[in-house]
Amino acid sequence: MSGEAAAALIVLGPLLLAGGFVLGRRTRPTRTSDVGTPVERATFETLHTASLAAPPLRAGLTEESARKAARRLRTLLGTDALCLTDGEKVLAWDGTGDHHSGQLMDQVAGLLDTGRDKAFPTACDDLDCPLRWAVAVPLTVDHRVLGSLVAYAPRESAVLARAAGEVARWVSVQLELAELDRSRTQLIEAEIKALRAQISPHFIFNSLAAIASFVRTDPERARELLLEFADFTRYSFRRRGDFTTLADELHSIDQYLALVRARFGARLTVTLQVAPEVLPVALPFLCLQPLVENAVKHGLEGAVTRSRITISALDAGAEAEVVIEDDGTGMDPERLRSILRGEGGDSSGIGLLNVDERLRQVYGDAYGLVIDTGAGAGMKVTVRIPKYRAGVHGS
Amino acid sequence: MSQTYAVVAVTVVVLATVLIGGFGLRISRTTSDFYVASRTVGPRLNAAAISGEYLSAASFLGIAGLVLVHGPDMLWYPVGYTAGYLVLLLFVAAPLRRSGAYTLPDFAEGRLESQAVRRLVSVFVIGAGWLYLVPQLQGAGLTLAILTGAPDWLGPAVVATVVVLAVAAGGMRSITFVQAFQYWLKLTALLVPALFLVLAWQDDGRPSVPAGFPAGVPALSIANSLGRADHPLYATYGLIVATFLGTMGLPHVVVRFYTSPDGRSARRTTVVVLALIGGFYLLPPVYGALGRLYASELSLTGDADATVLLLPDRMIGGVGGDLLGALVAGGAFAAFLSTASGLTMAVAGVLTQESRGVRHFRLATLLAMAIPLAGALLTTGVPVADAVGMAFAVSASSFCPLLVLGIWWRRLTPPGAVAGLLLGGGSALIAVSVTMSGAVPPGWPHTLLAWPAVWSVPVGFLAMVLVSLATPARIPPGTHAAMTRFHLPEALR
Amino acid sequence: MSVEPAPRRERVTGEPRRVRPLPRYRAQSEIDEQTALGGAYVRSLIRSQLRAGLTAFAFLALLAGTLPLAFAALRSATAVWLVLGFGAYPLLTLIAWWYVRRAERNERDFARLVEGRPAP
Repeated sequence: MSGEAAAALIVLGPLLLAGGFVLGRRTRPTRTSDVGTPVERATFETLHTASLAAPPLRAGLTEESARKAARRLRTLLGTDALCLTDGEKVLAWDGTGDHHSGQLMDQVAGLLDTGRDKAFPTACDDLDCPLRWAVAVPLTVDHRVLGSLVAYAPRESAVLARAAGEVARWVSVQLELAELDRSRTQLIEAEIKALRAQISPHFIFNSLAAIASFVRTDPERARELLLEFADFTRYSFRRRGDFTTLADELHSIDQYLALVRARFGARLTVTLQVAPEVLPVALPFLCLQPLVENAVKHGLEGAVTRSRITISALDAGAEAEVVIEDDGTGMDPERLRSILRGEGGDSSGIGLLNVDERLRQVYGDAYGLVIDTGAGAGMKVTVRIPKYRAGVHGS
Repeated sequence: MSQTYAVVAVTVVVLATVLIGGFGLRISRTTSDFYVASRTVGPRLNAAAISGEYLSAASFLGIAGLVLVHGPDMLWYPVGYTAGYLVLLLFVAAPLRRSGAYTLPDFAEGRLESQAVRRLVSVFVIGAGWLYLVPQLQGAGLTLAILTGAPDWLGPAVVATVVVLAVAAGGMRSITFVQAFQYWLKLTALLVPALFLVLAWQDDGRPSVPAGFPAGVPALSIANSLGRADHPLYATYGLIVATFLGTMGLPHVVVRFYTSPDGRSARRTTVVVLALIGGFYLLPPVYGALGRLYASELSLTGDADATVLLLPDRMIGGVGGDLLGALVAGGAFAAFLSTASGLTMAVAGVLTQESRGVRHFRLATLLAMAIPLAGALLTTGVPVADAVGMAFAVSASSFCPLLVLGIWWRRLTPPGAVAGLLLGGGSALIAVSVTMSGAVPPGWPHTLLAWPAVWSVPVGFLAMVLVSLATPARIPPGTHAAMTRFHLPEALR
Repeated sequence: MSVEPAPRRERVTGEPRRVRPLPRYRAQSEIDEQTALGGAYVRSLIRSQLRAGLTAFAFLALLAGTLPLAFAALRSATAVWLVLGFGAYPLLTLIAWWYVRRAERNERDFARLVEGRPAP
């Protein structure tokens, strides 16, 4: 028996050793020292080198300043070769392999136009030449590209690409300081310029009016609603043509409904059924919200005093099935058909048409809206969304 | 053994499955708890669901039976089933989730932009799914036959009907909760009786487990003694390669990852899965060991797979034994139901996707279940139970190269993928089919064909790499975009 | 018999349209556009993740490759019971846990490397 136990130990030994190895690898010794850790020493050296490169650059980007600075900058990056250019020519080459400088201006031409970083293989015929890969970064002042910094390496390196970007930015700051007298920084343009409203002005007006009505009576509720409103508009103002996930879309619908309920209170009842496994499904951005908006409108229209809306998102194998149903006024089927043919209609009809078109565009004709309705019979809209379709990825 | 208790337990499990499937939706009636409903599945719930689906008849009944007959070397099976998830985690989990693919054909299409590869992968997925379904149904037949004396066809028919009806009635609108429930049910159903059995063993004076090898062949036990006796070491390596690398390609395993909200949680989910199935696999060996002591004659009658079911009655007896036996029976049925429904959903998913016109998932479900049911009923007596091991070997030789190279190697081309799938997966499939036909003489040829993974996995990888290198012009234009999507962390999207 | 029949619903769908194919990977266009530079960044991430996966896999392969030989040499059933029945599972989970930490750290480091990259 003891023999077997010993055998077990022999087998278990390597296992325990291996486990210890894994654990040991995890716990890195963290040394503290009064004379500085290696990281701290490296930082000091970097700062010192940077301070040496700064004075020449403060004189602006000339051949002489570039020559002096390039030496320091190459030390800073630790590369085999480093080059500085202005808009037209190579200003300074530091390190080996300056036979590359002849073709360099062609290689960075695009970068000087766009101000965008670029990486390229050197495609050098000389097999002994260590420079096989380069990253070029623009030097910018006031959003204008003054020139470029090019770092060469024996192989591609994300670390060098990042470091070159940082150094170029530091150089740009120095150049910017040099140009401070001549140039003025522009105001940052408002990002709102690019926003396009997806939601109706009516909705914004009504929501704000509803929120305003709570400001005196229930300031806390008003504050919450305002936050919901901000969140909802932020989501709706996103770039168009994008995709989202069912979870995000439902979250936005929730915020929309909170705002609607602020106006209509108990007149509206919403029931939601969600199978959690369909929540990561990717779908075209804002393709359910208009359907819910439609259901709300139909439900609260005319003589109907109370309205019930049911939203369900169920798992159907390779597809998700979303159903939005209301018990409101419904719609004449003929009128709905003509709306879906694109032959005009009110704003709610436009919403249906828009969603139908986008679904068919993305998933094919088999995935258009299926609507069950009749005048006075409420409306049930069914959307089927494939869980996977090449090119459709929620972000 | 009292039949009533077992029948009640099985009925309760079936009803609970259907009910939880129907009510597993998150329902909110006010907008205030809308957020809860629209929250994605967390790693722990999802991990329990994945484990519940993964622990099949082979795990619940087969391992104990194999250990009873062949001894502790058979413990490589549960270790392999678990290690397969580790390999899946290392190379596949996060990138696969980030690819957005729901099924393996989706992945193939998205990565290689080729409909031909997509269709070929679909064929393999459906084939592997069917291979895996057959032993689940046969296990159900064995369980019912042993517990109630019902005819062999009844168990498969019950499981097939429940799964198809549940899906057809829309009862499986949300399968995550069902599978999570079934994991905990299966764990309880093995753990509680095991505690009592160990107590009974202690009362008995703690006799030691015999190390000898009684003769006999279990019916359900996956990849039975075929070729094992000739070259056991080679067979062990064949088993290791097949299970370690085959898990990642099983259809019901892959679709589960879609439920994770992102790649990072897919990774974390997998770690929890490892812990959960690892915890479960501590139990079957206990039954196997006790079975060697108290039910060793089962290996002679060919009913070794019933070890887990019969031990409570053998060792404890009376009402207590009956109740524990009923608990185990319920757990076994949970195992058949969860794996069978997961596989059926996965296969039906691929079927509906392939013929984009098929709008009725239910029809596809019927088809997905009908064929393996026919297989299970027609092949009784033939060692088709090898199908699980076969499914693993085929998956390891076809899907593993496709996934690993597709995710990590940018020079993979559609012709390369097709070559690898056909040569690797195809040769594995043929090898095991030939073995099962019984036409191979014993000795090395038999061993090599019965345990193909050792050579068929390298064949699959090599074919994929070499043909891809020979067809560099066919590298899909979207390769860079696809690789970026696979690996870029969510924070940078 | 009711005087007014309950309003009935009718199923309406739009008419088939010619489908315009969707441009591939539209949402990913920004990353696609990073061209050679973006590629260098992404490849560095892939390499570091592959290294993490291979390290863990090598460890696993070493164990799985040598254990059957060790068992055959020892001919001890107790050792097999202990290692395969109990010892393997905690170890597998431990490897998985180590890998996830390493992979997530790689992703954090990569995010740090990329963040602050001048906007294109």
